[in-house]
This record gives sequence, structure tokens and C-alpha cells, in this order.
Amino acid sequence: MVKNVKVTLKDTKQKIIDTRDKINSIDFDAHWYRRVFHAFGASFLLYYILPDGNWIHVLKFWVPPIIVIIAILIEIFRLKGFISSDHFFGLRMYEKNRVGSYLFFGVAALILLWRFPQQIAIPCILCACFADPVMGEIRNRFDKKSAIITGFILCMVFFMITWYKADITLVLLVGIIGAAGAVIGETKKFYWLDDDLMIQMVPAFLLLIIWFAIPQLGFSYPGDVIYPGLMPW
Amino acid sequence: MNKSKMMDVRKIENDKRAFRTELLLAPLLVVFPFIIGIIFINDWYVRDFLEGSLDLHGELILGIIIIVGNILFDIPFIKSLRNFTALFRKSGK
Repeated sequence: MVKNVKVTLKDTKQKIIDTRDKINSIDFDAHWYRRVFHAFGASFLLYYILPDGNWIHVLKFWVPPIIVIIAILIEIFRLKGFISSDHFFGLRMYEKNRVGSYLFFGVAALILLWRFPQQIAIPCILCACFADPVMGEIRNRFDKKSAIITGFILCMVFFMITWYKADITLVLLVGIIGAAGAVIGETKKFYWLDDDLMIQMVPAFLLLIIWFAIPQLGFSYPGDVIYPGLMPW
Repeated sequence: MNKSKMMDVRKIENDKRAFRTELLLAPLLVVFPFIIGIIFINDWYVRDFLEGSLDLHGELILGIIIIVGNILFDIPFIKSLRNFTALFRKSGK
């Protein structure tokens, strides 16, 4: 009887150790989970293609801030300890005692969608969605320099594609300044200010200066990239 | 059961719960951006390619960027998810 109990205890202990080892490998999954979450953010561009009909217009105005407010409340509850951080899969160690990156991402995307012209908002969101994880991957596999170069090129492509209707000089100017801003925003890490916010807001403010200076520079404003869809009814 | 063991079991339970969250969110994370990309490409096809009424090449490019960008990250994500699920099944958890 005692022998059986001992064997069972030993088995249980071993199972706990094995499972803990397997759980520790969750970092790998969390890593890809975070990457996919970033890429998922590109779906926010749906905002621009939604028709401008009455009730859809109301939805477009209210749904994004409501989502961000819910996320803010969840973060407040988490930081106050009402919700355990263990419920948040993929949260980094340093995020356990500070606001999670996803909230920074959401707030920046909301500001861009609400207050910036789409020619600025779209490439900035794309940089956060794709350039940021790509830079992270390259930094992990190679080195920081390669990550910066790749990130710069990728961001430049996003800015140039979005401004393709503008004058070629303006396209190049926007590409270089926007990409530089995005890369600076991604590489500069602050404890209380996440790179997910910086990668979107730094190029956005730099491009906003260019946006206001477009008439003075002698260029014309580029057309929209995404047009609101038509009501199917 | 001593305190350390209890903490271990609690941590495992919490991680399992978090992992389940990932599993539940996975279809949304993978499928939704793909649908958005298709919507963009469809809008370009209907309003630009068929009707030629608007210059919507930007929508086509953005649709492709969204789909390709997501697929690039979805493949390793699904692979890691499958590996991890298999580990859980093997351990009978």
C-alpha cells in the first residue's frame, strides 16, 4: 500500500516536472502568437473601406474607441490585481507590472484612424503590423544592424506604396522620412512608452509636418488609397 | 501537498488556461485578416477592374500585403501551435 502511494507520488512529481518543462517551451508559441497578433492589426484598415452610410458611420465612430476603452479597463483591472496576468497569454515579463503592448498598439491605431489622413495612417499601421515583427525576427536571428536595414526598407516600401499617387519627389521624401521615423520609433525602447506606439506615432507626426507643408513645397495632395465601399442595399 | 507543489500546479493550471485562450483566438487571428484582404481585392476587382470607375490599385496592393503578410506569420504560428497541442496530448493533459 505504502509502496503504491510512493510510486503514485513519484509519477505525479515526474508528470509535474515534465509538464512544467513543456509549459516553459510555451515561450516559443507566445513568440509567434505575438507576431500573429501584430499582423492581425492590419485588419483595422477595414475601417476605411466600410461604407459611409448612416448607421455604419456611427459604428465607425464609436466601435474603435469602445474597444480601446474596454482594453483600458481590462488593463486597469489587471494592474490593480483584480485579474491575474496569467490569463494574458503572450504577455512579456516586464509587462506584468506595466500597461501591455497591445493597449499601446490599439491607442496609437485609434489616434491614427480618427485624427490623421489615411495617407499617413495606413503606412504607419502597416509598419507596426509587419515591419515591427519582421525587425524582431531578424534581430533574433541575425543582428540589430540587419534588423534596422530590413525594417527601413520595408517601411519605406509601405510609405511609397501608400503615396504612389503623389509626385515622385514627394514619394521619395515621404518614404525616407517615414521609414526613418518608424525605425527610430521601433528601436528606441522606453519602459513606460512601448515601441508599438512609437513605431506608429513618430512617423505619423513627421509626416504630418510634411502634410501641412505640401502646398508650400509646391506639390499637390495625393488622393486617397482606400475608398469607402458602396452600400450593397 | 506542500506550498511549492501547490504553486507549481497552480502555475500549470494558469498556463493551460492561457494556452486555451490562444487556441480559441487562433481562428480569429488567422482567418479575419485573410477575409479583410479578400474584401480589399474584391473591391478593387468590382469597382476598378470591372467598372473602371475609380483608381483603386492601392486597394489591390494593400489586400495583397495584408494576405501575404499574415500568411508569413500564420505558418510558423500554426506549426508551433500544432507542436504544442501534440505535446499536451502526449502528456495526457
